[in-house]
Amino acid sequence: MDKFRMIFQFLQSNQESFMNGICGIMALASAQMYSAFDFNCPCLPGYNAAYSAGILLAPPLVLFLLGLVMNNNVSMLAEEWKRPRGHRAKDPAVLRYMFCSMAQRALIAPVVWVAVTLLDGKCFLCAFCTAVPVTVLGNGSLAPGLPPPELARLLARVPCPDIYDGDWLLAREVAVRYLRCISQALGWSFVLLTTLLAFVVRSVRPCFTQAAFLKSKYWSHYIDIERKLFDETCTEHAKAFAKVCIQQFFEAMNHDLELGHAHEALARAPASSAAPATTDGAEEEREKLRGITDQGAVNRLLTSWHKCKPPLRLGQEEPLMGNGWAGGGPRPPRKEVATYFSRV
Amino acid sequence: MEKFRVLFQHFQSSSESVMNGICLLLAAVTVKLYSSFDFNCPCLARYNALYGLGLLLTPPLALFLCGLLANRQSVVMVEEWRRPAGHRRKDPGIIRYMCSSVLQRALAAPLVWILLALLDGKCFVCAFSSSVDPEKFLDFANMTPSQVQLFLAKVPCKEDELVRDSPARKAVSRYLRCLSQAIGWSITLLLIIVAFLARCLRPCFDQTVFLQRRYWSNYVDLEQKLFDETCCEHARDFAHRCVLHFFASMQSEMRARGLRRDTAGQDTADRDPEPPEIPKPPDGLDGGGSGKAHLRAVSSREQVDRLLSTWYSSKPPLDLVASPGLWGGGLNHRAPTVAPGS
Repeated sequence: MDKFRMIFQFLQSNQESFMNGICGIMALASAQMYSAFDFNCPCLPGYNAAYSAGILLAPPLVLFLLGLVMNNNVSMLAEEWKRPRGHRAKDPAVLRYMFCSMAQRALIAPVVWVAVTLLDGKCFLCAFCTAVPVTVLGNGSLAPGLPPPELARLLARVPCPDIYDGDWLLAREVAVRYLRCISQALGWSFVLLTTLLAFVVRSVRPCFTQAAFLKSKYWSHYIDIERKLFDETCTEHAKAFAKVCIQQFFEAMNHDLELGHAHEALARAPASSAAPATTDGAEEEREKLRGITDQGAVNRLLTSWHKCKPPLRLGQEEPLMGNGWAGGGPRPPRKEVATYFSRV
Repeated sequence: MEKFRVLFQHFQSSSESVMNGICLLLAAVTVKLYSSFDFNCPCLARYNALYGLGLLLTPPLALFLCGLLANRQSVVMVEEWRRPAGHRRKDPGIIRYMCSSVLQRALAAPLVWILLALLDGKCFVCAFSSSVDPEKFLDFANMTPSQVQLFLAKVPCKEDELVRDSPARKAVSRYLRCLSQAIGWSITLLLIIVAFLARCLRPCFDQTVFLQRRYWSNYVDLEQKLFDETCCEHARDFAHRCVLHFFASMQSEMRARGLRRDTAGQDTADRDPEPPEIPKPPDGLDGGGSGKAHLRAVSSREQVDRLLSTWYSSKPPLDLVASPGLWGGGLNHRAPTVAPGS
């Protein structure tokens, strides 16, 4: 347990290493899934290729989508993409950066699946057993005598040792070795190609666009943190709201009871002396509410956060209404409004 | 658990030991990969050599690229190489040092694979069984050349019916394995001697230069890491203040709306584009001087973008004592390289 906690703490130490950790786990899970999977070639002429293509292509697609789903940043990307412009311009470079980094991480598990499948060879064997060059590998003289459907039916059974009955034409071991050799060659070429691509992308990037890359990285990280902090602040607000609401309810009940049982005023004295203490606590909670104290106001706040994100400019009091872009032009002169209340 | 943590901390202590840790991890992964890989020689005339040599050389290449990818310092090195000079002179010696240390560590895993393959012998037997000289073995005396070639191609496959339980196959296989292991051990010995000589003889040349370069390459790596961390801290504070600012603006809007409703005497639900009264600064923004200190006066999108561009295009000089206004040409704090023999 302690070991897991330590590993978890290390992975959480920053966002990047957490995502890398998830990546590594998914890659291992993918390899484990393959070894646990019971491959079962149908050994029939038309079905072999379809089954093998399905095994080679469907799980990687599922793993890719799973990789995207498990990445929290997908919803962040979608939000940033579809939000209304509001007071804050949208930067397509940031969106591209976020999408690229997510896609790169999600592609690792599918690549591992495809590589392991090709290096193992069973899938390739099942798919291409009917395409083996019999004239070269086996008794070439006997092959032309067979009609093609019969030959296909015979060769389709190569992956299944129990039912293969074509040893007179082509030794099963020879065909299996031949196809597995080609499959492994393809597998290693695929691995080499993907690592080369990853290397080129990673090492060549600093030669171009480095400044733009630094900006995109900063702002994508910023958007993530801002979203988390907003959620935290809203949770704090909701807690304070709930506390004040409940306190008010109890006070109201208390008040009703006081009015209803006036003859017990003396007995209530310690309770009323305790009331200022609760109102002190209530004052603190009201402070936390920051003036947003009813459902309509909260809904308006949340809508405004989505529809009209504030500009990225601190240090000045910018009105939310008014001419929009902070500092965009000459501001309208502020009017001072003085009001008089009278209570009669 | 405790010793695991101590080991971990030791590896994280400097960038060099992080790289060594990654190197060792990759070497261990290579060993596991080799042992779990199912070798499958095709036992056909032309395919044997291709398969055997391909398996001897392609995985090491992929592992070499993985070693370069897994090492953060390779990216740092390319960045240092391609950055504009700005206020900080570029030293090609440091870039060369970083390059050589990255390459040395990336070569460990491929060498492990090649040595394992040679010492195991299967690759070599598969690749060169068809090239063996049949004169060396008496068993081939009464076979035609094409038969000999067919036989030799099937030598790597023990279970094939042509060569099963054949003493000739065992002889050829033993011969090739012996050759393979000899080559493997020779390469191992050579590498160890070269590494030993390089390590022992290095202090005889350029020791001060070496120390300087090691220091500055470690510095570049740490500086990049610290910059990233500082940016994260800054982004966090920026976001915090932005969110609080937003809440405060909503609060002032509510207040203004409330005031207007009171003065107008009716409930107006639509947004009135009249500017509100000057709101008093909310308490949340002035939450301690530490909050402001974190932002370091960089508090708008344009300022952050300018900061990041300047960091890339014009790194500051390595001089902590001089005031920032003196960043002119020639302010270079680093000692000039000591020529050997001086």
